[in-house]
Amino acid sequence: MFRKALIANRGEIAVRIIRTLKEMNIASVIAYSQADFASMPVKMADQAICIGPASAIKSYLNIDAIITAAKITDADAIHPGYGFLSENADFAQACHENGIKFIGPSAKTLRMLGNKSEARKMAMKAGIPITPGTSGCVSESNYEQEALKIGFPVMIKASAGGGGKGIRIARNEQELRSEFHIAASEALSAFGDNSLYFEKYIERPRHIEVQFVRDLKGNVLVFPERDCSIQRRHQKLIEESPSPAVSETLREQLSEEAAKLANAANYIGAGTVEFLLDNEGKHYFMEVNARLQVEHPVTEAITGIDLVREQVLASAGETLAMPGITKIKPNGHAIEFRINAECPEKDFRPEAGTIKKLVLPGGLGVRTDTYLYAGYSLPVFYDSLLAKIIINAPSRRLAISRAERALRELETDGIKTTSAFCLRILNDEDYRLGKTDTAFIESLLKKTKHTK
Amino acid sequence: MDVIMLTALSRWMENTDLEEITWRSGKNKISLKTNNEPVESIIPSSPLQPVLAPAIGIFRSSQPGQTNALTEGMKLSQGSELGWIETGKTREALKAPCKGNLKIIAIKDGQPAEYGQPLFFIEPE
Repeated sequence: MFRKALIANRGEIAVRIIRTLKEMNIASVIAYSQADFASMPVKMADQAICIGPASAIKSYLNIDAIITAAKITDADAIHPGYGFLSENADFAQACHENGIKFIGPSAKTLRMLGNKSEARKMAMKAGIPITPGTSGCVSESNYEQEALKIGFPVMIKASAGGGGKGIRIARNEQELRSEFHIAASEALSAFGDNSLYFEKYIERPRHIEVQFVRDLKGNVLVFPERDCSIQRRHQKLIEESPSPAVSETLREQLSEEAAKLANAANYIGAGTVEFLLDNEGKHYFMEVNARLQVEHPVTEAITGIDLVREQVLASAGETLAMPGITKIKPNGHAIEFRINAECPEKDFRPEAGTIKKLVLPGGLGVRTDTYLYAGYSLPVFYDSLLAKIIINAPSRRLAISRAERALRELETDGIKTTSAFCLRILNDEDYRLGKTDTAFIESLLKKTKHTK
Repeated sequence: MDVIMLTALSRWMENTDLEEITWRSGKNKISLKTNNEPVESIIPSSPLQPVLAPAIGIFRSSQPGQTNALTEGMKLSQGSELGWIETGKTREALKAPCKGNLKIIAIKDGQPAEYGQPLFFIEPE
């Protein structure tokens, strides 16, 4: 087992990882930027080392600085968290070359899954349904033809994209021509790669994903699906498990397919297969997220399994207790709410400031993952996720009541958050009935505009 | 007690370092207390100018094969070479930001430094 692990991340996920490392008796080192000097993970970790200035490019995305920090502190493993370098194959490669274990899949696996069109090909080979789309990247000369072959509406995606970034939709030929060129230049500036591919745009789908953990012997643990349909501009806001739209039979099928993909990618550690579910109940493979996800606690809440621990064990070469494919049954229902420093009244504009007073919800079935403390000043350089409130209860109905109670307990004086907006969603009739899709928030916002 | 008296008293008090006084005159009695809560902690200022690590890395006082000639108290001109910070394969030079005396050397060859760590202190001339 590892002696000391360096966390190349910040915020709530750094806190989350440090907690498990402490329980596993692995020393923790946080590599932080100057802007995070007074942050909670810096206080919590056994050791902290400043790797660069506030700008993420020079700190949390700086491979040389992070590897040097691991060497200086004599860490034998690096946990990348999510975002930043978590799915960066070059980083995983650099760790390997410097004799440091990257807690995640191999550079080779990351490279393959990171290229979204390669991942689609792999899924197709494994017999998993994919949305109609181009078999590879499109070019300036053939993109119009390719779009017509698929049929409108068409989704334009950046090959190097992910996390909802670099996606545009074209509903006709005219839109296609303009969106294609915008998407190409956006992809170039965001990911340094302007290659694009097309997929059929599924109208109002649900976003369903399946978490798995695979060891190096090829044994796989598959978890009940998460439903992440409540999202705004491809950024998830509320996630739950199990999905109100997934039957036992479909769960069985999705689990089988996730395990197949994990095996095909020779994946080691924790990963997630994302699917779209259309309104006829048909599902399509979307992509594999080769990292720990923000919403992983939803799965932990209904299974009692610590996913960070499983990740660390798998990377250290430990094998899972059960051979072959093990499908874990859901126990009750869990919902996660992302509390972001955003102002919903002002088009979800990011908020900055100092938390003057902080009251976190608690009680039975309520877990709050956060890096906030009273008096903390939010740096403006990073993403707006402040806290995640994870509710679990024996049923979805009870989880909703508990969530309402918990969200009302939260106080973050000094900073506006998405918590009141989450409460509004909870009180929506369609949400309560489980009738949601990825356009839910957009429709809800329109609804309020009309009633005003 | 009139306003003039009160004003005079508080003026007088401002010119002392007393924090609390009680003044009696016949039946009249008044207590005054200054509101002396520190606004912010005092940051000690120093004439010394620090040279901070521009990156995380290993400090190298000289190029391979050469000896380091830095000693405390030596004179430096602006831009004098003080060594390098090595991060992976890149080396970033450390240079004196001003002319002056090298007062304190706070790092040794081969020692690690984190970003922003003070490595030298120079007394500007």
